Amino acid sequence: MSQSPENKKGQVETTGHVWDGDLREYNNPLPRWWLWGFYGTIIFAIVYWILYPAWPYADTYTKGVATVSFQTPVLDKEGQPVKAADGTVEMHTKTEHWNSRALFYQEMQTSPSALAQQEWLAKVKDMSFEQIAANPDTLNFANSMGHALFGDHCAACHGTGGQGVLSMNPEASYPNLTDNAWIHGGDYTKIVQDMTNGIQGNMPAFGALFKGEKLTDLAQYVLSLSHQPGVNEEAANRGKASFATCAGCHGANGTGNQMIGAPNLTDKIWDFVDVTGAPTIEGKLKLVEGVIDHGLQHQMPKFSDRLTPEQIRLLAVYVRQLGGT
Amino acid sequence: MSANTVAITAEQYNYDIVKKFAIMAMVWGLLGMSAGVYIASELAWPFLNFDIAEITFGRLRPVHTSLVIFGFGGSALFATSYYVVQRTCQTTLWGGKWLPEFTFWGWQLSVGIGVVLYMMGYTESREYAEFVWPVDLGILVTWVAYATVFYMTIKNRSQPHIYVALWFYSAFILATALLHIFNNLAVPVAWNSFDSYSLFGGVQDAMTQWWYGHNAVGFFLTAAFLGMMYYFLPKQAERPIYSYRLSIVHFWALTFLYMWVGGHHLLWTALPDWVGSLASAFSILLLLPSWGGMINGIMTLSGAWEKLRSDPIMLFMITAMAFYGMSTFEGPMMSLKSVNALSHYTDWTIGHVHSGALGWVAMITIGSFYHMVPRLWGTKLYSTKLVFTHFWIATIGIVLYIVSMWVSGIGQGLMLRAFDQYGNLAYTFVETVTFMHIPYVVRALGGAMFLSGMVLMAYNLYMTVWGTRREVMPVADQSALAATRT
Repeated sequence: MSQSPENKKGQVETTGHVWDGDLREYNNPLPRWWLWGFYGTIIFAIVYWILYPAWPYADTYTKGVATVSFQTPVLDKEGQPVKAADGTVEMHTKTEHWNSRALFYQEMQTSPSALAQQEWLAKVKDMSFEQIAANPDTLNFANSMGHALFGDHCAACHGTGGQGVLSMNPEASYPNLTDNAWIHGGDYTKIVQDMTNGIQGNMPAFGALFKGEKLTDLAQYVLSLSHQPGVNEEAANRGKASFATCAGCHGANGTGNQMIGAPNLTDKIWDFVDVTGAPTIEGKLKLVEGVIDHGLQHQMPKFSDRLTPEQIRLLAVYVRQLGGT
Repeated sequence: MSANTVAITAEQYNYDIVKKFAIMAMVWGLLGMSAGVYIASELAWPFLNFDIAEITFGRLRPVHTSLVIFGFGGSALFATSYYVVQRTCQTTLWGGKWLPEFTFWGWQLSVGIGVVLYMMGYTESREYAEFVWPVDLGILVTWVAYATVFYMTIKNRSQPHIYVALWFYSAFILATALLHIFNNLAVPVAWNSFDSYSLFGGVQDAMTQWWYGHNAVGFFLTAAFLGMMYYFLPKQAERPIYSYRLSIVHFWALTFLYMWVGGHHLLWTALPDWVGSLASAFSILLLLPSWGGMINGIMTLSGAWEKLRSDPIMLFMITAMAFYGMSTFEGPMMSLKSVNALSHYTDWTIGHVHSGALGWVAMITIGSFYHMVPRLWGTKLYSTKLVFTHFWIATIGIVLYIVSMWVSGIGQGLMLRAFDQYGNLAYTFVETVTFMHIPYVVRALGGAMFLSGMVLMAYNLYMTVWGTRREVMPVADQSALAATRT
């Protein structure tokens, strides 16, 4: 068995080495297509290295011969942009060796989508919120941008359609933006203000003040404001006196106060506990009692460091529209 | 028969240690792949996280990767390298009984303790090197012992030449030591804390990590398994290796080139552009050297293609070579900046990894095990039919996996770069996630199929070794065994 097994082509011998009884190796030449393929990749690599930044040497690297051009402000001796008489910044073309930062500038200045967006942004720049919303073209633009921004920045809490999350647990609830009950106000300027600075919502806990029957009576009264089925009128009347404590924020009639973010309690819209979803009056009472007992703390982060003022403005048009009038 | 070919009989080889590692490879393989199917299902149906921290995707994912790479792959490499080095050097394992035994316990304990700590929340957060520093030290000591056993066995060989499989195993052992040490240089917070700070910071830390990461693929998951291929494929085919010359050229090209390509994992990041394009070009250079291994594997069967009809073990091996060829073509393409801009951060990467990990690494291991296990225990394989079934389940599973990840990855990549007529992003991130649901379901199904194949294999091998229908054969050397084959 030291002879090589029959090779059909008959032209190649093994190396003559044998391992473990029968392991041998033919001494076939390198396949020609493989060898030329390998040479081909070597040529590719060399061309690639000539074109692009590639090899380090000393404290720098080969820059490559490929270049990227983009527009950049003309700078004066102090490094400040030079402005023309009418206040516009003077631009000039800068050409750098290929690098991904220059490529980004170039793309933002020349790609069709970037140019289209800039054109639309220029169109709405001096328009009021009402004008943007009234013109079908600019409204479509605001909605197109709002859809993407809302989906990436707001939807995690408020839901992809702005429907919010309403559960039995106030900690896991987020306001619905599609109804027209605005907790903090639905003016364009107020929406912009809230998105820019964020919101700190805080209702104090009244557990120390209202306990047992007193607490239940107050909850009965709160439920009676929105005419919930099954409310005990007698108990509600007893609880009315306690509501004076609540009136400071929610108003004497319970209609709320958008300036301080106190919801209207007389509509059937619930923002933090799903009263409508509780099947029995006992369940509804328990939810309301829980809120009175523990209070509510809600935060919405500020977006001024994530979105530009222009993006927030257009997002406000989109969000305002979700909530109707 | 020449005198030096059968200088030693099977009784004199240390098969005990090979058996132990082979069994643990199957155990970790089943556990690791189950974890994989579970986390794939979590992505498709997130309720499966059940809000239990220990089984959430974030913790189970490194459990999956570490178990399949180090538990399954690592144990399979210990087993086959100990088997191959003895048989091709015609000598028993160096280090007596206790040193190989030490590598066994060192390795199993490191992997086992490491993954339990992941579930408890202890991680170094370095991909494929998440083990905390005390486990890293355990691995280091184990690895030094392993290298000593392996190289000393080669030194003691009673063969004049070192077989090609051993070059690849050697490169793997050496490179893994280097990678493991440099990527795990860290300062512990305290001697009694699992936490540590990396010695490197910022983009240098990221670069060290991906220098490690890609070479883990290159040396652990490629070179070592090429070593496995170079022994088991010609053995099973009963044919000589196609080209000795090709094996030399592609060995040196592969080992030289792999070390340069890690930067392609960090294209379009804070990594300096020159590091990225240097790595991209080296990645293209890697294509043909990788294919050298594929050619040598597939062409070895040239002239005996009919074996593919009758021998399912051969099917596993040749399919492994085909997947190896495919994923080593895909990899360099994904390393080009323009392709990477689309593929990076998408499931295309996950699909690519699995065409290599399932198609190449697991398939060649499965084929080798079906060849090796009966020989280790001196029995015959329990059922060839089950091997055929395993092959088809596994292959269809892999195809479902890869195709669904192409759809998911390329689809998401295209959605994320789509603009509408106003120049605004056409899709939000969450819309791309919604789109990926169906591919995720298909991927989980593909993974489940691959796992079922592994269960069949475990049953088949169990019956081969301990089954009632076991047909006991006298422990014999390879040529005697070959003679008994019908």
